[in-house]
Amino acid sequence: MRNLIAKLTLAAAVLGSGLGTAAAETANIWVRADGSNFMPRIVDAYNKAHTNQIKLDIIPNAEIIPKYGAAAAGGTAPDALSLDLIYTPSFAAAGQLEDITDWAKSLPYFASLSPAHVKTGTYKDHIYGLPFSADASVLIWNKKLFKQAGLDPEKGPANWAEIAADAEKVNALGGNIKGFYFSGNCGGCNIFTFTPLIWASGGDILSEDGSKATLDSPQLRGAIDLYRSMVKKDLVPAGAQTDTGANFFAAFAAGNIGISPSGAFAIGALNTQYPDIDYGVTFLPGKDSGWSSFAGGDNFVVTKGTTKLPVVKEFLDFAYSLEGQTILAKYGSLPVRGDIAKEALKDLDPRYQIAAEAMAKGKTPYSVVFNDLINSANGPWTQMINEVFFGDDVDGAIANAQETMQSIIDQAPQK
Amino acid sequence: MAIITAATTAPPSAHKRAGAARQQWIGLLYVAPAVALVVVFFLIPLGMTAWMSLHNWPLMGEHSFIGLGNYVAILRDTRFWNALRFTAYYTVIVTIAIFVVAFPLALFVERPRPLTNLYRTMFFMPAVVGFASASLLWSWLLNVDSGLFSPAAYDLGLIDRKFNLLATFQPAFWSIIAMVVWKVAGFTMIILMAGLQSIPQDLQEAAVIDGAGPFARFRAITLPLMRRTLALALILSVAGSILAFDQFYIILRGGPRNQTLTAVYWIFNQSFVSFKLGYGAALSMVLLVILVALSLVQLWLLRKPEGLD
Repeated sequence: MRNLIAKLTLAAAVLGSGLGTAAAETANIWVRADGSNFMPRIVDAYNKAHTNQIKLDIIPNAEIIPKYGAAAAGGTAPDALSLDLIYTPSFAAAGQLEDITDWAKSLPYFASLSPAHVKTGTYKDHIYGLPFSADASVLIWNKKLFKQAGLDPEKGPANWAEIAADAEKVNALGGNIKGFYFSGNCGGCNIFTFTPLIWASGGDILSEDGSKATLDSPQLRGAIDLYRSMVKKDLVPAGAQTDTGANFFAAFAAGNIGISPSGAFAIGALNTQYPDIDYGVTFLPGKDSGWSSFAGGDNFVVTKGTTKLPVVKEFLDFAYSLEGQTILAKYGSLPVRGDIAKEALKDLDPRYQIAAEAMAKGKTPYSVVFNDLINSANGPWTQMINEVFFGDDVDGAIANAQETMQSIIDQAPQK
Repeated sequence: MAIITAATTAPPSAHKRAGAARQQWIGLLYVAPAVALVVVFFLIPLGMTAWMSLHNWPLMGEHSFIGLGNYVAILRDTRFWNALRFTAYYTVIVTIAIFVVAFPLALFVERPRPLTNLYRTMFFMPAVVGFASASLLWSWLLNVDSGLFSPAAYDLGLIDRKFNLLATFQPAFWSIIAMVVWKVAGFTMIILMAGLQSIPQDLQEAAVIDGAGPFARFRAITLPLMRRTLALALILSVAGSILAFDQFYIILRGGPRNQTLTAVYWIFNQSFVSFKLGYGAALSMVLLVILVALSLVQLWLLRKPEGLD
């Protein structure tokens, strides 16, 4: 028995000292379910080409934040995670993330990384998150229905008046065909697809640093009027009023919706799951002209104090290579490196180019309380959009949301 | 029961006291597993909740002791009190609705008649479905575009425009009440039926001979003798309704326009949407106190009156 223990100790010592620095290390990474298409592919590709390995866990969208919080409290957090970019400020504020400023700035292509990601990844002038995956909001239209309605199927609407007019023409086809669709009770969907209408017209809902809510603007009211008028004319299915996001994509994919605001993810999803739908992609337009987009996606963040930082860096380097960016693009994420985006997308559906262009100019609101303000199903933004699109008291709803949002911002922990 | 009574009323003697003491130790041994379960899965978590409620405890990052700060914040939290008011309203309505449906069902299935077992099973079936699955089922049934109720009424020509049941408060609220009654009434029915069956038949027969009508018999015999059964059914229903969450979360998301946020829903939001675990713990403690107080009041109201066994 003593002999055996001695042998084991010796073996352990040899393993520990002999292989030492050369030993392959495994880093654990989490991603939310939205990334379940591209993340396993890029991790596989990395693992095949490197001695160091990545172990990937895919976590349901709604659970990744509480689960990560619990894991961090128990000391079992992953070494890094691909995090919905809007959460980066609040994670950084909580002191949960490793400061990667020096490393980020040493990357030769740092300047061409998606600016929206880098902005949300920066907290008090330090960088805690770098872009990983990207999704931009766009407007999609059903070419078959446009043709049936006597519209030019190759020309999507370029301003608000055209959206309303085209939706009305498609709606006139009758039966179960409707002109327009949006998820009317989903805060996350509408920050993604509705606020770009406001941005493109020169307005905004939050100040640049997220310290002031600026809801009461003519641009917001104008965009509300556009949606309200379409609801009033019955161009929108009745279910939109209570859709908490479940039909955000599915409604258009069923093939009887003329126009719907959506995201770049829809291109991949429609091409693979609904190849029969003939659709066009264009920008989310401003009132008269111009366009804008919500730059969404994930930031790559590193858990504070992890010992696997070299592995994590090596993995992110790989993701930023042309090979990595091409894999991401092929399986549903837009490239996050502007300088090689065109090259990464060159063999893919040309409609991605529109989305990539939208991404490059995309905006992301900055707030440490984004979840409370916008995404929460019971937050002020979700309540307001439902009231202003379908209710009777637009002024009251805007005033109420403005007040609630400002008080949530003011009560947020100041660190 | 008789043995314990005899032991405690017998004149004390040294020998018997030692025997009683040993018996008590053996008794403690028997209940030890149950006590261990309660301690590990109830008392310790409860103590931790109380401890957390005294802290500013974010989901991530450092926590700090703030004494009663969370409780002071609750006093000013109007949305929590609104949620509590809605929960009370819902509890009253749904409890009445459940009893209005369950009592006639219990009277109906109590006596043996042809197919009684079939009826009992039918009425009881929804009770074995979990609240979450039942909510998912009903959220489909209630869907305006692809569900059952609204499209069916439209196709049958009863309405000329599809009506979204979940878009405004009244229809949405009553849809939830209907779903909960469908799901819970069968369970309450079984409890009430057991109570009905425990009433001796000769009492009813004696009353019939004395010339009491069915209503008088129900009021003077059935109801008083069912006190304890009613107390059980009532407490289960009230406690369950005050803790309501699944159906409002899954079917309505607290909507339309946040008008159906229950107390537990608000605790969930504070803890896992706003990531304020300490504050959520404090809210839970407040709700626990309210629930215990309500249960005590109900037990006192339905206590056994003097002279009635």
